[in-house]
Amino acid sequence: MIIAKQMDIRSNIKDFFDKAYEGEDIVVPRKQGKNVVIISEDKYKSLNQNKHIEAYAGAIAKQYKESSSVVPMTDVKSDNLKKLKNIAELRENWNGNGAKPFSGSLIKKVRSLLEALPIQPEVFPTALQTIQLEFDNARHDHMEIEIDESDEADIFIVTYFGEETEETIHGDIKTISERVMKFYG
Amino acid sequence: MDNIFRIDEKLYRAVYPPEVMDMFWKRDGSVSSAAFADRNGLSVDRGDYRPESEVIEYMSERFTGHIVSLYVKNCNDVGAVVKYSPSKSNVYHSEIHGSATNKLLSKTQRRHLAIKAKIVC
Repeated sequence: MIIAKQMDIRSNIKDFFDKAYEGEDIVVPRKQGKNVVIISEDKYKSLNQNKHIEAYAGAIAKQYKESSSVVPMTDVKSDNLKKLKNIAELRENWNGNGAKPFSGSLIKKVRSLLEALPIQPEVFPTALQTIQLEFDNARHDHMEIEIDESDEADIFIVTYFGEETEETIHGDIKTISERVMKFYG
Repeated sequence: MDNIFRIDEKLYRAVYPPEVMDMFWKRDGSVSSAAFADRNGLSVDRGDYRPESEVIEYMSERFTGHIVSLYVKNCNDVGAVVKYSPSKSNVYHSEIHGSATNKLLSKTQRRHLAIKAKIVC
């Protein structure tokens, strides 16, 4: 941390900005305690991100504390189950380009998952005969979980900063629920 | 029309299925990347610099539902390939492919196009 007078900052502003960019906190004392701190944009974003994480983790913990072991049937969940029913009713060539209908076993698997998930996604069919669950957290990260009939599920995450990760995980309810909680936690 | 696409040409995608029109719409009003997954290539109508009302009218003759638009640049930005593929019933038919050798768009490409897509009607 560097403490610098306002006058020094004014005459060497580039040097101080460079130092802040490199990670230094520049504290500028002012009259009546109206001090300011110069930090880099990266540090500012990181501080904001931590604030979001803390707020969200608190909200989730509260939600858990207040809920029983059975997850309540929220409106969102109810809408998701209705949408899944619509997906189940899609017929051959439903996308106008040869997409096939969805198997009963896939629909059943996704229904079980929706019933168990503590945080509800948005649900979409794909022309690949998979069902895509989408989550967006308070940090503005985005996660897609693509479910098919296999024992695995594909996860795709794009963070607010544009960093992407793709991986394949076990497609069981416990593993997927844990990944969802990790995404929000 | 030929197989040359300039970056400012618009592409129009009909979002099926018409019987459940909000199937691919997210709660925030945007379209899901799931609408851009297709092993057969993503069917679009090229704009060919026609007025948007003309494009909508032409597409509406063949289907009922929502239409989203993209620019060729949006595809180029993520390495997706636009191919002119006219059919007997649709002289504007084109396809967006993941690459020169793979028709399926990657997850990154789908997400990018979903973000860039503008809802036309």
